[in-house]
Amino acid sequence: MSGRASRGRLSRRGLAWVAALGLVTALAAGLVATTSPGRPATARAASVGQAFTVQRAHAGSATPALKGRIVLLTVGSDSGAPRFGRGGSMESGRADALQLVIIDTARRRGAVVSFPRDSYVPIPGHGTSKINAAMAFGGPRLLVATFERLTGLTIDYYALTSFDGLTDIVNKVGGVQVDVDMNLRDHFAGAFLDKGRQTLHGGQALAYARARKTLPGGDFDRSRHQGQLLLGGLGTFQRQVAKDPTRVMAWLAVMRDEVKTDLSFPELLRLALLATAVPPSQIRNIPVPGAAGSAGGASVVRLQPGAYSLFARLRAGKLS
Amino acid sequence: MAARRNPRPPPIWSAVLFAAVLVAAVLLAAGCTSGGRSEGGGQAATPTSAPAAPAGPLKVQLVTTAKVPPGGLSAGRAARRAAPGLERFLDRYLRAAYVNAAGGEAGWDGLLGLFDTPVRAAARKQLNALSLGEAAPTVTAVRPGRATAKAVVLYGAKRPEAATVRVAFDGTADTAQGSGPVHLRSVLQLLATGDSWRIAAFDSRTGSAK
Repeated sequence: MSGRASRGRLSRRGLAWVAALGLVTALAAGLVATTSPGRPATARAASVGQAFTVQRAHAGSATPALKGRIVLLTVGSDSGAPRFGRGGSMESGRADALQLVIIDTARRRGAVVSFPRDSYVPIPGHGTSKINAAMAFGGPRLLVATFERLTGLTIDYYALTSFDGLTDIVNKVGGVQVDVDMNLRDHFAGAFLDKGRQTLHGGQALAYARARKTLPGGDFDRSRHQGQLLLGGLGTFQRQVAKDPTRVMAWLAVMRDEVKTDLSFPELLRLALLATAVPPSQIRNIPVPGAAGSAGGASVVRLQPGAYSLFARLRAGKLS
Repeated sequence: MAARRNPRPPPIWSAVLFAAVLVAAVLLAAGCTSGGRSEGGGQAATPTSAPAAPAGPLKVQLVTTAKVPPGGLSAGRAARRAAPGLERFLDRYLRAAYVNAAGGEAGWDGLLGLFDTPVRAAARKQLNALSLGEAAPTVTAVRPGRATAKAVVLYGAKRPEAATVRVAFDGTADTAQGSGPVHLRSVLQLLATGDSWRIAAFDSRTGSAK
């Protein structure tokens, strides 16, 4: 009897436990029910401590908005390169690689206009001579003046490097991807390259930029290759920065160490940042039309009427 | 024997029962509070139902490396010299973009003043990707959480010239409707301006989605 009573008490106590647990469960279930779909998400979130959306997701990016058009003269000097046995200073050498880089900043388009170094043109204060002599006569300033007189364009900045500089730039950035447009076997420049897209190291890039004597188009092919190198450099820069934005600093460090320019550092930075947003496919590589000739016994390139038409179009803001 | 005939729940079970009832009471109270406010006009729970964590100070944890010119400072020394100024700048940025932006009364001039002129107009159009943005007026307070940054500094002959900084900021924003996380993930390209920095380009994401 006492055992049954005891079992009964136990049973009642057990029922009480079950009831208590049921209450807890019911309350908990009730709470869950109040947070089920149908109530405002904000209330649901806050009541269970989950994320409440204060701000929707947004993404944005921007590079500097610079003035309408930038004209940069890039120059490769044949001096100031001790490793290649070229003494003197870069600024007093002959300008053997000459490109006008024109960027329409608003439309993010541009042109690389490549000039044969033997272009026979008026040089202010020095009569008519090969354009590459202008820098030897009066440094980058006279070279810029020569280009301004020839093209009628205002040159905003120049950037100058040497054989050593080009080689170091390319090596320090890890090589430059270029679309080599012909098979090259040029012993004079040391250029031995097969046609096709490839990453060139510094020595190969310099050889590609210098090769002339064995090329069918001679100086014209060479100046086109120099433009391809510039565009290849731009593409390489963009790919690297897209993967790792800190590469902007690496490239700027290389440029600072290897290039002489009248760009101030803030201008250089802004230009580099702008360059991340100008697709190489939107930049035309335009060789200046010319024809082989001679002057005073020296071989020269005489610019053709098409060259002056090109300059007129460029002055009018066109990029072709 | 008596114990067998008249068993009492052991003390541990009493404690469990007490705890269970206590939890139930707390859950009930929470549920009632939430539900009541929901029914009363579609309002979500106030921060009282999701108690605010104590506000912590904003402290940017910055890791800096440097690129130096030949013959200049060592990279380590340059990084150490550049770090305090960068940290101050990032602190200013995060305060202007989040902490001081709460309520929307401060406006955005302070934040936009941290941008280089050629990118300022773009920044003004993209405030939502750079700060609390349009959510600012509804936010009563931003409680900073984790703020970290990794910087690569281009060091010149005597001072920093530029830097690329990856910034990550997590915080909690309080509104009348509730509290929620806010996040910023940005890559900032910075230009040194003598005594401070300016943002010359950015690639930025905000919001609650990481």
